[in-house]
Amino acid sequence: MNDRMNDELQMTNGGKDPAGSSAIRHSSFSFLNSIRWRLQIWYGLILLAVLAGFGATAFQLERGRVYRQVDDELQRRAGALASLFRQPPRPRGAGGPPEGRPFDGPPEDQQPNGPLRGRNINDGPEFNGGSEGMREFHLPPQQARLFDETDTNGFFYVIWRRDGQELAHSTNAPVEEREQPIRGRLPLPQSRVRDPSVVLPPETRPGPPTPQPPQMRGIFRESVLSMPPGEIVLVGRSIAPQLHELRSAALMLTGVGAGILLLGLVGGWWLASRAIRPIEDISATAVKISAGDLSQRIDVGETESELGRLAGVLNSTFARLDAAFAQQQQFTSDAAHELRTPISVMLTQTQTTLNRERGAAEYRETLESCQRAAQRMRRLIESLLELARLDAGQQRMKQLRFDLAQIARDCVTLIRPLADQRRVKLICDVPPLECVGDSERLAQVMTNLLTNAITYNKENGEVRIQGEIKNGSVLLAVSDNGLGISREALPHVFDRFYRADSSRNSGNTGLGLAISKAIVEAHGGEIEVSSQPEVGSVFTVRLPVSG
Amino acid sequence: MRILVVEDEPDLLRSIAQALREEGYAVDTAANGEDGLFNAENSEYDAVVLDVMMPKMDGWEMLARLRKTKKTPVLMLTARDQSRDRVRGLDTGADDYVVKPFDLPELFARLRALIRRSAGQTKNVIEVGDVIIDVAGRHVTRGGEAVPLTAREYALLEYLALHRGDLVTRTTLYEHLFDENDSTMSNLLDVHVSNLRKKLGAEFISTRRGHGYCIE
Repeated sequence: MNDRMNDELQMTNGGKDPAGSSAIRHSSFSFLNSIRWRLQIWYGLILLAVLAGFGATAFQLERGRVYRQVDDELQRRAGALASLFRQPPRPRGAGGPPEGRPFDGPPEDQQPNGPLRGRNINDGPEFNGGSEGMREFHLPPQQARLFDETDTNGFFYVIWRRDGQELAHSTNAPVEEREQPIRGRLPLPQSRVRDPSVVLPPETRPGPPTPQPPQMRGIFRESVLSMPPGEIVLVGRSIAPQLHELRSAALMLTGVGAGILLLGLVGGWWLASRAIRPIEDISATAVKISAGDLSQRIDVGETESELGRLAGVLNSTFARLDAAFAQQQQFTSDAAHELRTPISVMLTQTQTTLNRERGAAEYRETLESCQRAAQRMRRLIESLLELARLDAGQQRMKQLRFDLAQIARDCVTLIRPLADQRRVKLICDVPPLECVGDSERLAQVMTNLLTNAITYNKENGEVRIQGEIKNGSVLLAVSDNGLGISREALPHVFDRFYRADSSRNSGNTGLGLAISKAIVEAHGGEIEVSSQPEVGSVFTVRLPVSG
Repeated sequence: MRILVVEDEPDLLRSIAQALREEGYAVDTAANGEDGLFNAENSEYDAVVLDVMMPKMDGWEMLARLRKTKKTPVLMLTARDQSRDRVRGLDTGADDYVVKPFDLPELFARLRALIRRSAGQTKNVIEVGDVIIDVAGRHVTRGGEAVPLTAREYALLEYLALHRGDLVTRTTLYEHLFDENDSTMSNLLDVHVSNLRKKLGAEFISTRRGHGYCIE
């Protein structure tokens, strides 16, 4: 429990700090530069588009459904009305217009040529009563059932004659619908309709009524049928309630959509924050590291995600940087350390000697001791410079052909006095081998290896230098049967300033093997060591034949 | 005062030892940790100057082993000047720390302070009646007048004065005033004591017969 709380505390602390520092660093940036904001904006836009598309489609479907429902009803009623006119036409009286009664009823709609309205178009509708004009038009009960004339929102009909004269209408037919000129509802030549004197030619061919697709006029949905003889039947209905319902549905869709959008934005922000948090952690750690604290590491929570892997890669990079810096620091510290001892010698010697008057022998001794210290410093500085050049890749290796046997013989000759002094037997067993490389540098490597082999040998020991070509490489081995290298020391022999016995008075700088390794590697080769304490060591240099 | 110097760089060892001898110390030397530990465990030293980087046994280990048996003040001498090295040295039981390259006067001053503190003294000037011993300047006055002393006489006086009131046995004096190279002729304690009495007054050093000497 406590652990968990601590973890959470650490997490919140860890979370606050990067947020704070990143806020400071990015304060001059517009929020559009923030990935989180950009994600959020894109996310919002996409969500908005999806929701709008979905809402619009849903609304269209709903409206289509409502219209289709109304339209079916309209068509059914229009069909029923049309069936009244579809009876085979009768001969229209004996020439001229059929005797009709003059309209005396409705004053509003009175046309001067009202009497033109004929009553016997066919036998279907009954125009009885006469004097009441349109009201005399009665639907047969079968059709009348379809029109509830008391309902203003119910279905209504209007029937015109082909010349534009209104023939009949239901009582609930809205005035504006009846007054509407017929033009525009039918694809009739306008001139014919506009000129009332022009009588539409009677449709001679009996056939099915030409249906027009239902359409909207204001709040009315209407279906117009043009009957073959020329009558025009309009069946309509006010769809105000349906429109109202559709509007409510649209409002509801908008509301729900807005709600989802809001939820989505909040969720998106949360997701974006969650996704960004590791990046912020990484960035905060990187800031600390760039400030010089190389020990910092990114807390890799989930190693499998992309960011987890990135953090892993960064961490290993940081670790390598850290190690490289530590190594560099160690090297500098070691170098300073190595220089301090000879300086101490010189200071102590001179201060002691100058304390009082001395004899010539004492001065001489002091000077000799100072000279030894100075020479040791010179060796050290030269080695350091050489290593630095090799590290920087400035030390170009010559690419010349030479005979390895010749070089080996030269080195052995050079080193023999030391071997004799230590009573160590020196054996050179290198056949003529043509190599390509920097012979001087490789001679330096050989001399170094031979010197070590002699120095760390026993009296009457043996040092052997051998060469051969194997698997396309030149192999040069310096082996001894001396003291050997301890198991703990073996991995470190090529480290800079590493000395197995941590002493300094052997006179070497502790850099010889490190330099040898750098030279061999600059030739594209490698150097390795195998050793057994009290049995001996073998240093093997492998060089590519082509150099 | 007898000091052990443990240092693997021969030239440095030689010159430190010489400089210390010229300061009037009895000096033993060791070139590695093993020899140093043997010396330090088997003789009484007033201080040990100990190098850190040495073959066979390094300074850390020698110090750690020495601390199991002895409280001899130890001054570490090293080229490592990083804080963690100093902390390690002091924590292992070193009493002081000098970083190479050092100035000899500083090394001497630190050694004097080390020896003085281990004897329970806090000041560099010891007053015994009208005799004033300046430990730092290594000179002695009596009634305001300088008293010329040989190095050996001074060392004897300083040791007795630092352990004022204590009975100092002849063995202890031999151990602290003469190094292993001193010939028998030069360690004639009685001769030095009588010389000091001539210069500072017969009552200055009292003899506890059969036991040793004491400055009251």
